[in-house]
Amino acid sequence: MGAARSLRPRGPAAVAAGTATLMLILAAGCSSGTGGPATAAGTPRDGGTLRLAVEKEPECLDPHQSPTESARMLTRPILDSLVYQDSRGDFHPWLATRWTISPDGRKYTFDLLGGVTFTDGEKFDARAVVANLDHVVDPDTKSLLAASLIAAYDSAKVVDPDTVEISLKRPDSSFLGALALPNLGMESPRTLKGSPSALCAKIVGTGPFTAPAGLVPQKGIDYVRNPAYTWAPAAASKNGPPRLERIEVTVVPDGPARMGALTSGQVDAVTGLSPTSIGTLKRTPGFTVHSTGFPGIPYSYWPNTAKGPLSDVNVRKALRAGIDWQQIVKNVYFGVYEGAKGPLSPSTPGYDPSVAPAYAYDPAEAGRLLDQAGWTGRDAAGYRTKNGKRLTLRHLWSDGSVANLAVQIQAAAKRLGVETVEENVDGGTFVNRLLAGDYELIDTSFSSPGPEVLRVLFGADNIPTRERGVNNNMARYDNPRVEEDFRRALAAKDQADRYRIYAQVQRTITEDVAVLPIYSPLSTVAARDGVRQVGFNADGTPSFHSTWLTS
Amino acid sequence: MADVLKAPPAPAVEPGRAAGRRRGAARLVLVRLAASAAVLWGAVTVTFCLLRLMPGGTADVLLARSRVSPEIRAQIIAEYRLDDPLWVQYAAYLGRVVRGEFGDSYVLRRPVWDEIAARLPHTLLLILTTLLVTLVASVLLALVSANRRRWVRSSFAAAESLVVALPPFWLGLLLLTLFSFTLHWFPAIGSSSPMGLVLPTIALAAAPTAVVTGVLRQGILQALEEPFVVTARSRGIGEPALRVRHVLRHAMLPAATLLGWIAGSLIGGAVIIEIVFSRQGIGRLMLFAVQNKDMPVVIAVVLLTAVVFVAINIAVDVLIWLIDPRTRETGRWA
Repeated sequence: MGAARSLRPRGPAAVAAGTATLMLILAAGCSSGTGGPATAAGTPRDGGTLRLAVEKEPECLDPHQSPTESARMLTRPILDSLVYQDSRGDFHPWLATRWTISPDGRKYTFDLLGGVTFTDGEKFDARAVVANLDHVVDPDTKSLLAASLIAAYDSAKVVDPDTVEISLKRPDSSFLGALALPNLGMESPRTLKGSPSALCAKIVGTGPFTAPAGLVPQKGIDYVRNPAYTWAPAAASKNGPPRLERIEVTVVPDGPARMGALTSGQVDAVTGLSPTSIGTLKRTPGFTVHSTGFPGIPYSYWPNTAKGPLSDVNVRKALRAGIDWQQIVKNVYFGVYEGAKGPLSPSTPGYDPSVAPAYAYDPAEAGRLLDQAGWTGRDAAGYRTKNGKRLTLRHLWSDGSVANLAVQIQAAAKRLGVETVEENVDGGTFVNRLLAGDYELIDTSFSSPGPEVLRVLFGADNIPTRERGVNNNMARYDNPRVEEDFRRALAAKDQADRYRIYAQVQRTITEDVAVLPIYSPLSTVAARDGVRQVGFNADGTPSFHSTWLTS
Repeated sequence: MADVLKAPPAPAVEPGRAAGRRRGAARLVLVRLAASAAVLWGAVTVTFCLLRLMPGGTADVLLARSRVSPEIRAQIIAEYRLDDPLWVQYAAYLGRVVRGEFGDSYVLRRPVWDEIAARLPHTLLLILTTLLVTLVASVLLALVSANRRRWVRSSFAAAESLVVALPPFWLGLLLLTLFSFTLHWFPAIGSSSPMGLVLPTIALAAAPTAVVTGVLRQGILQALEEPFVVTARSRGIGEPALRVRHVLRHAMLPAATLLGWIAGSLIGGAVIIEIVFSRQGIGRLMLFAVQNKDMPVVIAVVLLTAVVFVAINIAVDVLIWLIDPRTRETGRWA
């Protein structure tokens, strides 16, 4: 189980997609490790089959429908996007050669690349772009993510075969970022006319690979090189068709089984290994760990800012200062993960490093803050009390794999005089209590290739309630100043302006202690040394477009 | 379920004995079929109720991983009729079950039967090999261990207890580590080949083998005390022939019933093995469906399991009826 699930929270995700690895207790989560050597030594070589074992599969392959990180990872080789986003968050031409945005920010005009064909022979043109966007927002598609990424989308029209004009209902500075994700990837218009359920098994794009047999549930997906592919984004590392002839992806849900399959040479590479396995592999000759930090929100504890003891900002401040989070992360993850020092992880475009000092360990200050908040008494067990009531925080677990971390945090909180009650409940109860706000702490990470993710997790519209259903503002944070900043960011003129506004949001959130960030999750691919040049997409999922095999 | 067999006493009419036997068999199957329908109705109803009793609304759990607008949420609720009164949902559901329409999975977004049909052969194959291994291994082990020396018996019994106590996932990982990762004899993934079937079968068959061996040995030891053994011995029969031809037949009766029960439980019980060995199968489908409150899938799998369970038990009862003449004479089945 990866600690990070791009663009979706960990908690509710565990409710739904939680595999039985959970039941096996072996489920060490969280990939990790820094990249080893094996970057580009030797001359790249064409051909060969990469055998890859992944930890989970999407319930539906079509990224227009599915919200999962695994759908994004497995469809990126098949689907190209209009624009390409690099790891710094900048946008580059891909299937669109250039674009203009109207002064009011509501009209986007894209010039399209000519001579591009889908692997089923369909031509890529303005008509195809319109068909794709309309497919995403079509109610029959029942999109669980893509449609909300382009919630501002109004309509698209064909100007000429190589030009498409997209109108938005309101300015949305995150629109290009959404277009760059596989969720808005371009699928063959012919396939979009079929049933959504057919697309869950097989999709056709213009990408560097095709998957003729599609996704075989509980088994995997096999890719074959698209020899006609010459339109890789210029900003990406490799132009032209990919070097690998084939990629065979097998779903191996059990972590130890994935590790064993790699070390015994039954596969060439695996994703989603536990920090323990990563540590072992780093010491084992013959293997390389490729990794990158997931952009987005670090793995964090979310305090319920709306009710209970954590509605007092001083108690939240005390918790942040009084627990040595950095040391705990080091203890639990053997230095494989970096401790987090802000609401965004450092690899996120728009990250503001100026907030880091606020996340320093200061137990004396924590004690003073708790006194100030009125938690001055002590009971027989050594916990702080106020009016005879113990300072107790109920921590709702997102899934069972957080146990080691939770235990250490519990011990540190006890030294501070704070009791945490660890609650590992079933999915339905989790959802019920999330909607009712019946908790003091929830843990989750949330990865996303841009600072807009702050709106998803701290926007007042996203507080989970009975009426609204499950949503992502688990801190139940509602600050009018931040709401105003979010509105301004959506209408921002350019990238710099947008990042400046989101930096302000990060500072406000840090002042308000609306989140207790713990560590930045890593996206990792562990491979034998013969696998060279493993890359990562902007959303942190691995990319094998440039990958080649020495043997 | 076996009690049903006690109800129709075989007509003890002397002249038409063969005809009565046939009638008895037909009646046996008919009564069992009627009882089976009741069992299936019970299974689907209990499933329906349990899924409703689980905490959390179906729509909330269904959409937990997603960001959707309130309109899409409302549309999904309407489409899956999650806002209808409970009895309307139940009636509609029962109607669909009777017509064999299980619809589309909420989560997988594909027809339920397609999903099941794609996985069922893998599960059935595994169950078949598991039953075969269980049967052969337990008969051999029971014959060897039904020894009059006490220490032999108790060391076998101790080993059986140990095997039953092993968590299947741990045993699976142990087998994988030893025979796949270290010795490279069998593949850990790519389960479609015969070689890929060996380790999962051993892991899944271990506990049933231990249980059935114990029951068989007990039966053999008891049968060895019966007077007919003395008779057979007095005719000068050899010890192996005595055990295989006469004693084993007695001991098989309770073991056959037990095997029927085990076969039924293996369908869902294979889930751990399917995960550890990355096998396709019904168990994994079921686990995923329950976690997601994917009612159409859960209900179809429960019904399928119940059908298989019932079919196997009818087969076992008929088998016993054939093996043991006494059940035909008296309408009892030992």
